Amino acid sequence: MERILRVNMTDRTASFEPMPEAYRNRAGRWLTSSIVHDEVPPTCHPLGPNNKVVFSPGIVTGTASPTSSRISVGGKSPLTGGIKESNAGTGWGRRLARLGIRAIVVEGQPKEEGLWLLKVNAKGATFEPADAWCGKRLSEVYPTLFARFGGKEEVDVCAIGAAGEFCMAAAGVCFNDQEGRPSRYAGRGGLGAVLGSKGLKAIVVVESGAKEIPLADKALFDQGRKKLGAALGEHAITKPKGALNSYGTAVLVNILNEAGGLPTRNFREGRFEGAAKIAGEAIFAGNKERTGAEVYNHACSPGCVIRCSNTWHRPGGGEHTSCIEYESDWAFGADCGIDDLDDIAELNLLCNEYGLDTIETGGTLAVAADGGVWRFGDGKRAIELLHEIGRGTPLGRILGNGAVVTGRAFGVARVPHVKGQNMPAYEPRAVKGIGMTYAVSTMGADHTSGYTIAPEILGVSGKLDPLNPDKAELARNFQYATAFIDTTGHCLFIAFAILDIASGFEGTVEECNGVLGTKWTMNDVARIGKEVLDLERDFNRRAGFTALDDRLPEFMRSEPLPPHNTVWDIADRELDRVFAS
Amino acid sequence: MIDVHLYGKLRRFAPGGSPKSDSVVSVPHREGDTVGSVVARLGIPDADLGANLFVDGHYADRHSPVPDGARLGLFPDDMQLLYKWYFQPKGKGS
Repeated sequence: MERILRVNMTDRTASFEPMPEAYRNRAGRWLTSSIVHDEVPPTCHPLGPNNKVVFSPGIVTGTASPTSSRISVGGKSPLTGGIKESNAGTGWGRRLARLGIRAIVVEGQPKEEGLWLLKVNAKGATFEPADAWCGKRLSEVYPTLFARFGGKEEVDVCAIGAAGEFCMAAAGVCFNDQEGRPSRYAGRGGLGAVLGSKGLKAIVVVESGAKEIPLADKALFDQGRKKLGAALGEHAITKPKGALNSYGTAVLVNILNEAGGLPTRNFREGRFEGAAKIAGEAIFAGNKERTGAEVYNHACSPGCVIRCSNTWHRPGGGEHTSCIEYESDWAFGADCGIDDLDDIAELNLLCNEYGLDTIETGGTLAVAADGGVWRFGDGKRAIELLHEIGRGTPLGRILGNGAVVTGRAFGVARVPHVKGQNMPAYEPRAVKGIGMTYAVSTMGADHTSGYTIAPEILGVSGKLDPLNPDKAELARNFQYATAFIDTTGHCLFIAFAILDIASGFEGTVEECNGVLGTKWTMNDVARIGKEVLDLERDFNRRAGFTALDDRLPEFMRSEPLPPHNTVWDIADRELDRVFAS
Repeated sequence: MIDVHLYGKLRRFAPGGSPKSDSVVSVPHREGDTVGSVVARLGIPDADLGANLFVDGHYADRHSPVPDGARLGLFPDDMQLLYKWYFQPKGKGS
């Protein structure tokens, strides 16, 4: 029997409810966005008692399906003021699914100070004081929680760090990877601050004697998962020792640099002279030098066959941090003008320790450099600034609240954001398709909202025809497909394989039918994606967003970006067409 | 001249190429050069090439023209991580 666990932080009660009929086939992003849409007043203060944080594993999470251990986290974002869905790869959601819990809804707010821990197991949920873990680094918190609640074999942990306790808008929600590292984040949008505002430090899920996820049609499920597995195993990007497994996402540093689209020094240039020193290849070579062996990447979560999560080692071979994703590598590297992998690794580690989103934090440091707080390229000073955030000093409070707040505090007009969220690692003036995604995404500037087709690059293929309906339709359909993948519980990286290999996509739909007993076809992918986006757009509309929020920052229209020396020149009416019905 | 920036296993075609720095080899330009003709001249096996090929930062394919003074960026088949839909190849079919 699937159920929802409702956690009320006002009176510290937790109780199970049956799944409402209206949500019967919903999970992952579809369910978190549905509950946020239906239960959270869009005009509420994100840190007040009326906001909620919703967790939901995907449709196939917990099954034998490959690369399917994503947990979706939703709420109203303190960073953007709009709806937020952020997801992470971890065993935590898998345990939740196996306990028959389709969602956890955290609501209310205690009147008194103090932090609490919630323990969830097959019997129910109980609270314990968590003040003993307050202000501690997450690398201290996680091992003690594992030791206390039964070890990594039986327990997965969700927690916030110091940044979440301080209710900073750059605070993420941290989950452990398979080794127990506090390293997998639902990072974007400040949902860690919302948990902090509710006094909820950690949710420990204990699940032993694993129960199989009930399948409506096992044969169909098996057929689907095998088709997906075959596509992942065959595609050059997702296969074993393929691009992601060998070099991690950081392989993109060199590629975007070559394309002239690697945002450098707060989006001032599209190429970074130090790119080769920080790219995925340099990580692979550096690890080999320092450990004496080729270090291939590992799976961040149970059942992942792509295995793209990397580690970086210190001189002498000890582990420094995991994982240096492309976005984190870029945020502290090119965007901050830092070309030293050890400094980037330390900055990445400190985000994991203090519970910060690496993209927002790196982007904020870049804005702060423009504000005269420090000099681009000074990695040691950047590390000190991360400690200011972790200690909650007045400067740290400003930085921990993200790029827009920091830009305002230091009088910086160059803040590369949409809807208050700092842009990730693709320069929209060079890669215009992703710029369209940044602009119209319900999440603020977000590369994972949908890999929009670039209708042209840099004017080479001729000007975009704003009246061509196909471009808007393609951009829209990519966001729909993404929302569907976020609903299944699969990692978005399966898209590389299933968008190229049709049987992989069919298999993904078949698996869902095998679990739910539905008769979805490929046409339902767009229908479901549209439902998710419609819910999110409706929430944002009622929160006060208009088409004028679907825009890139002013400076990108007037400042040409080297080396291509192009500006953002997609017409506003073209952006407005993406979701015009 | 054409500056060819090589990545991954293609770095072996640049003297002294290292995965932690830029691996660049300069080749004289010839009339009518394309990505394919430059690749052949360097002795790079076609099977090693991926789909992430760039001429002066523009997404390209084997048929794309390479002008004198161009920067050519070549990634191998095991190192392509951009959706092909990001870009429309420059000079496709030309």
